Amino acid sequence: MTAATPYLGRRNPTVKAAILLAASLAILGFLDPRPLLGLYALAVAAVGVAGRVPPRTLVLGQVPFVVFGVGLVAVNGLSRPGTPIVPGSPVSAEGLTVGVALALRGLVIGVLTIGFLASTPPRDLMVSLVQHARLSPRYAYPVLAGHRMLAAMPARWATVRAAQAVRAPLRRGRPRFGLSDAGRAAFALLVTSIRSAERIALALETRGLGERSRTVWRPVPIGRGDVVLALVVLAAWVAAAVVDLGL
Amino acid sequence: MSEPTTRRRARLPLRDIVLMVMLGVVFGFLYWALVQAWNGLAVAMGPAGDLAQHLLLGGWLLVAPIAVAIIRKPFVGIIAEVIASVVEVVFLGSPVGPLLLVAAAIQGAGSELPFALTRYRRFGWGLYAASGLLGAGLVFVWSAFRFGWYGQDILALRLGMQLVSGLVLGGLLAKVIVDRLHGTGVLDEFAIGRADAALRGPVVRRER
Repeated sequence: MTAATPYLGRRNPTVKAAILLAASLAILGFLDPRPLLGLYALAVAAVGVAGRVPPRTLVLGQVPFVVFGVGLVAVNGLSRPGTPIVPGSPVSAEGLTVGVALALRGLVIGVLTIGFLASTPPRDLMVSLVQHARLSPRYAYPVLAGHRMLAAMPARWATVRAAQAVRAPLRRGRPRFGLSDAGRAAFALLVTSIRSAERIALALETRGLGERSRTVWRPVPIGRGDVVLALVVLAAWVAAAVVDLGL
Repeated sequence: MSEPTTRRRARLPLRDIVLMVMLGVVFGFLYWALVQAWNGLAVAMGPAGDLAQHLLLGGWLLVAPIAVAIIRKPFVGIIAEVIASVVEVVFLGSPVGPLLLVAAAIQGAGSELPFALTRYRRFGWGLYAASGLLGAGLVFVWSAFRFGWYGQDILALRLGMQLVSGLVLGGLLAKVIVDRLHGTGVLDEFAIGRADAALRGPVVRRER
């Protein structure tokens, strides 16, 4: 942890995860687009400045949320009864408002999630959950092992595919790869992964990981700054709630 | 390898925990690959893309019935689903965000309930079907609240699509996968393999 680490990167992962979950749940109370728009602007600014997430990452990361949001606006505008925005059109004003609010909810949660993931290494999150949230190491270490396995998945998939391609009939000069082949490859991936799960469990057990409490290398700190972060987020949500009720 | 079973009966062996994590990782990876393909299709379908998510929902339920059928202990379905959602959110950056954890816990509870009612002793087609239906049905109540589906004209259509998907992809497909996995011998060291071995009597182990 150096001074070059952005503000969000220095905050405690457990606190950040708790704030993220609480904020995502609390946002379900808003159905007016105006406070949601304010929260969205605040969240983008906070993640950009305090998290120092590059604009490009921030924009690209939100593409799935925007796509999902467009679908929400369209389906709500069309499928909710209400006064048409233009006489004779099938799109209702009430439906559009609800759709925009739902899309904005998704965008706020999305930006906060991007900020959380960009500022939190998985290892720190798991260690912090063990230290501060009383998560059992019996779950933390296997999940961390799972993180490594996930990184190895594309290579495993490629191996299975290469083995299948050797035996596959050719179609237009290339090995066939249809839906059933994909299913077979997925099943092979599952079987080899379960085999390696047994080996990983044995390896963890022989090293005594997951038995009783342990000391931790590079413990993750928790401090006053984390309380400040929680209070700032709480203040933003209260302000949005005031706008929501007042207007 | 000795488990202090007398002191804390509910404690799961490390092997079962790692298996649940691995199921979460493999399915997380496969879903992720599927979602990449899916996103493009959803854009092309426009408003129908929002509806089509219900057809795929059952696939998201798979982890719970598979884990319950293999490990056969209480709460395994819920834990496995939550681990899978952690993999998707924290490691893969799922666009659903942290609320996926809530949805996963609800799905897991729904999928596990039918098996829990038989005290994890029966695993027939009917139970898998009930598991898929309950998982899809319970999470529908939550999603409908979250995405404001109540009050839309197409609520019944959404529910119908989701239940069919849960039945086929989240229930019956799970049994197909578990049976085929069992056939490979890879599950012999888990509860499902032990239950089978107890029925069969002593067996000669295959050489790998």
